[in-house]
Amino acid sequence: MLAASVLAAEDVSFLLVGSAALWLRNEIVSVGDADVVIEPTEGNIYRLREALTGIAARPVPSMNILSGGSVVPVMTAYGKVDCLMKRGRQDWGRLRRGAGFLPVADVSVLVAASVDAWELRRHYKGATE
Amino acid sequence: MSERTGLGVVEIAILEAVESSRFLNCSKALTRVEERTGLAPGYAYQVLIDLARPWTMPVCLVEGQGNFGSRGDDPPANFRYTEARISRAGRVALAAERGEMAPVPIALINGNSYREGLRPPFRPDAIIAAVREVIQRPEVTDKELTSLAGLPYFLTGCAVSGNLAALAAGRRTELRLQAQVSISDDRKEVVIENIPPNISTDETARIIISRAESQPWADNHPGLHHLTFLPITDLRDKTSDRSSPFGRIICIPKPGTSPERLRDMLLEIPGVCTTMPVQLPRPLPLLIRHWVQANGHEDLLASLTALDEGMRGHAPAGGPGGPA
Repeated sequence: MLAASVLAAEDVSFLLVGSAALWLRNEIVSVGDADVVIEPTEGNIYRLREALTGIAARPVPSMNILSGGSVVPVMTAYGKVDCLMKRGRQDWGRLRRGAGFLPVADVSVLVAASVDAWELRRHYKGATE
Repeated sequence: MSERTGLGVVEIAILEAVESSRFLNCSKALTRVEERTGLAPGYAYQVLIDLARPWTMPVCLVEGQGNFGSRGDDPPANFRYTEARISRAGRVALAAERGEMAPVPIALINGNSYREGLRPPFRPDAIIAAVREVIQRPEVTDKELTSLAGLPYFLTGCAVSGNLAALAAGRRTELRLQAQVSISDDRKEVVIENIPPNISTDETARIIISRAESQPWADNHPGLHHLTFLPITDLRDKTSDRSSPFGRIICIPKPGTSPERLRDMLLEIPGVCTTMPVQLPRPLPLLIRHWVQANGHEDLLASLTALDEGMRGHAPAGGPGGPA
């Protein structure tokens, strides 16, 4: 959760999905990593990489990998972040329409609608649930 | 995977290649492994390193000499410059593989989480006790067996917590691994030791340093800054192969910061606290019972005693003997 706040504070445009989003939407789930759908513009992906470089525990993937990748996991000083890059390229517009800003600490974080967060959770974790 | 020990083909080939009382050049040993398995030396070396690193698995099957890497980010030296020989526990495993001794549950103890598998390691004496209990008292309940085996155990000495019932039932769950964080007697330092195995000590140090740096957004988001900023004036990584192989990072609190507050903040920092997904292929009591049933016609009590002694560095009694 903190990792998402830090990315938002760094002006990265993303949508929080996954367990953290569901928890913020008052669903009863245990919160794990921060799963974020990244807005697929070049400038935003550049800001993402800059932000991650400042907080990552390991080297951050290149712009090429971030731009063309599917799910890019990054271990940061604020917790693990799974950057859902492909989902952003495919669904940013649709997911953005249902999303809304919620406060985490004193940062506004864009959080996916419950129905979208559940749908993505089923998509990514369906095999293990 | 072998029914007798749970070891894989490459692991067994490595044990045979380093079966000597003298240290052998790893390049030579890996050539033998390649001849037997066809696996190129660079791949087999990764397995050999795992078998030799003292922080990787509870039952170390190989002893290494030279640079096998560190708990930090330092990589091992090339195999041309390192040496290895079989450990006493490795001799017991190899004897069990060859049928010179009854089987021993090496894989059940060591797990495979050291290479991002889902099976965690357990305390060797606890698994040996659980196996002995099944042999001597077959009517032992599943609950008793689970309790005997206990929580997974990591050689770095980190604290482990999690849903043992779910793990023992064969369900996927998550362990929480936490380093020990203490305050020095003079209250000037907060000391982090026994860092979890699934993060390097260098990464943990980098994370702490990153959290102690002023962030560009701090003024605009004082609430987030207050939650995340670590009040540290200095950090010293004292991890060393000899005195603190499992990590020792010393943090000096900023003036005005109580060591208790810093300790409590550090306990929640990624790297000081990690999570690990785990799942056993079958319920734990069933795994233990199945292993005993599959091998029950052999003298398992003797081989377990030999493994126990081999891990303690004693010559296994009645076993394959000490160094060749």
